[in-house]
Amino acid sequence: MSFDKRISRRNFLVGSAVLAGTAPLLAACGGRSGAVTVPSGPPRRGGRLRVGVTGGGASDTLDPHIPATSPDIARVRNLYEPLLYRDHDYELEMLVAESLTSSPDATTWTATLREGIKFHDGRPVTPADVVATFRRILDPDDPKSGAASLTMLGDVVATGDRQVEFRLSEASTVFDDYLAQYSLGVVPADFSMDNPVGTGPFRLQGFTPGLQSSFVRNEHYWRPGQPYVDELVLINFPEDDARINALLSSQVDAIDQVPVALVEVLRSDERLRVLSAQTGTWLPFTMRVDRPPFDDVRVRQALRLVVDREQMINQVLSGQGRIGNDLYAPFDPAYASELPQRKQDIAQARRLLAEAGHPNLDIELVTAPIQAGAVEAAQVFQQQAKAAGVNVRLRRLDTTTFFGENYLSWDFAQSFWYTRNYLPQVANGALPQSPYNETHWEDPEFLDLVRRADRTVDRAEREELLKQAQRIEYERGGNIIWGFMNQVDAFQVYVAGLVPDRTGLPLSGYSFREAWLG
Amino acid sequence: MSTPTVPSTRSRKSTVFRRALALPQAKIGLTLTAVVVLLAVLGPWLGPWLTGYDTTGFAGKPFHSDGVAGTDGLGRDVFTRFLAGGATLLLYAVLATAIGIVLGTALGMLAGYTGGRLDSIIMRGNDVLLSFPQLVFALLAIAMLGPQGWLLVLVIGITHAPRVARVARQATVAVKDSDYIKAAQLYAMPRRRILLREVLPNITGPLMVELGLRLTYSIGYVASLSFLGLGIQPPAADWGLMINENRIALVLEPWGVLLPVLAIAVLTVGTNLVTDSLASAAAGREKEAAA
Repeated sequence: MSFDKRISRRNFLVGSAVLAGTAPLLAACGGRSGAVTVPSGPPRRGGRLRVGVTGGGASDTLDPHIPATSPDIARVRNLYEPLLYRDHDYELEMLVAESLTSSPDATTWTATLREGIKFHDGRPVTPADVVATFRRILDPDDPKSGAASLTMLGDVVATGDRQVEFRLSEASTVFDDYLAQYSLGVVPADFSMDNPVGTGPFRLQGFTPGLQSSFVRNEHYWRPGQPYVDELVLINFPEDDARINALLSSQVDAIDQVPVALVEVLRSDERLRVLSAQTGTWLPFTMRVDRPPFDDVRVRQALRLVVDREQMINQVLSGQGRIGNDLYAPFDPAYASELPQRKQDIAQARRLLAEAGHPNLDIELVTAPIQAGAVEAAQVFQQQAKAAGVNVRLRRLDTTTFFGENYLSWDFAQSFWYTRNYLPQVANGALPQSPYNETHWEDPEFLDLVRRADRTVDRAEREELLKQAQRIEYERGGNIIWGFMNQVDAFQVYVAGLVPDRTGLPLSGYSFREAWLG
Repeated sequence: MSTPTVPSTRSRKSTVFRRALALPQAKIGLTLTAVVVLLAVLGPWLGPWLTGYDTTGFAGKPFHSDGVAGTDGLGRDVFTRFLAGGATLLLYAVLATAIGIVLGTALGMLAGYTGGRLDSIIMRGNDVLLSFPQLVFALLAIAMLGPQGWLLVLVIGITHAPRVARVARQATVAVKDSDYIKAAQLYAMPRRRILLREVLPNITGPLMVELGLRLTYSIGYVASLSFLGLGIQPPAADWGLMINENRIALVLEPWGVLLPVLAIAVLTVGTNLVTDSLASAAAGREKEAAA
């Protein structure tokens, strides 16, 4: 029975006129008047780009090798450059290096530095700088963020005027992938935090931790003509509301991480543009495969069958995402797209649960606002599981407690991962020695395939092995991967040059060298 | 054994109530409170009956104008959730207030009536508890033990107790030397009975004021803790939680925030007005007694 038959929406609203008066007022707060023009033609140079970035705080840093929060990452992306990184399509792109080649057995990789590339202070980048950079990152007393995925790196040696050799302790066919991290920026051998120079498109002008940082164009930048804006200002906004209000009132030109629920309202504002980028970012439910009841593969498969993935995307992400198939690394060339798309099948889920001896399964799901949509996804899952007779009890924690001492020991929880290719993702979360093996996954057959793939130089052969590994995860893994989230950001209509980026980093991958003001 | 007569007890109590009710602000306060309480009590049944949705089912797209008051961030019907969202809040607030009043009154009366060392021990213990801001104390307990309903009620109740105890002690000290108490003592009436039969009825005035005040605070605390994510947990429909969940879309679908804000505001204003009138009435009576 619909409410509309008894009390119309109109009557309800009229009856609440006092309240209604406040809404348009709020909506109209700030805002510029006058016609807006969409920039076109060749990029225009000049101007100042002000960007509102989520999070940050007193521990904000300019350190190239330990960026933690979004503002840190945004700073690092514009001040420094690694040897290579990902372009907007998630393809490898050479930056400080001009090329990176592997020996036939994949145990030695040689980087050739870009000719004429200079630091902000005009000094040329030398192989000695690269060696010093990796020494800083791998410092055994103080390893930086990037060190975790470079465990196979034995030594870094300067072998020529522009050549640097990476000697590995064990073969890695995807070492180039491991090197393509924003936290591996090349800095001078005499690098000091008092003078944070790199090769990035902008150089530092001012920095106030917790508040904002400003940058000016690097006149020595190697890409001709870039960056287009004279000045870049990154402003911290821990609160969503404040960030959005700053955009609506034109105090900033662009903001990252728009809550998906607000996409429609921002789209309807002609002064604004919404940037929605497909990414490989996933927000799985994690089941510990070594703990009952999830140690029974039938229970895991049943819970995967309980999920209505379309509904997840629509309700949790307001449609800003694409459904998943319990597999990660969707942009990897070896992604197992041939596996049939798993769909909600309540009857089959009930059957599997009955077979496993859990016809009325009662489980606790540990959730926390670890990422926008996480707690919401848990609630939708709880609702969907009811249909299969599964009672899901939610235990909502704060993020600090979630990632506290019990993190990695929750039986059934959630996680959050940015875009990665298959092998780097496995290294991070699916090996016994992985730092974040949340599902306690330790499948011998899987491990054998992954180990062989890591050493297989032949690409076709390697991809075949990876597909087999994915099939195992599809058939008995501990992740429920219901979808991939879009990255949604917004900017003023007069801003140009920001494009969708698959890495999962906001606003064109925080690459502001291409941005310009019309 | 015949007890000494305390002729004024009942009439005094009823005079306070009658006086309070005669005040226009009490009438307004009672009406406001009654409206929200009715809404909160009947809401959980009324909601699904009126709208056809339950509190956790999906009614449409997230933050969309479907239904009476739109949908929330998960596409659940805001009006249904609003109607259902007051019951737990109110229940917790009432229980917490009851714990605070019972515990505080018992301690206060005991301290005030007994005096001496027991008085010092109870009241200094009180002072220690009073040095913690209530919300901070609640946050600490919930952060350590996790957000659970019973804990929420207990913590808010316990932090009310020292505040109530102060008032109860003061009122007890004021009546403990009265003739009717002395008479009861002469009859060798046990202390517990004197406290319950003689002291308690004669300190109801200030206690009623305290009750109203504590209820108002309890509502605020439960709602605040839920808003902070430490009180009532999702997917429950709860006003405090709703404000947090829907505030991001304040511009887009304001009802998800405005309805619960309005309900909490009306409820606290209502209970406050009633409390104020009780305080005025009690003060009037004191003045009369003094004259």
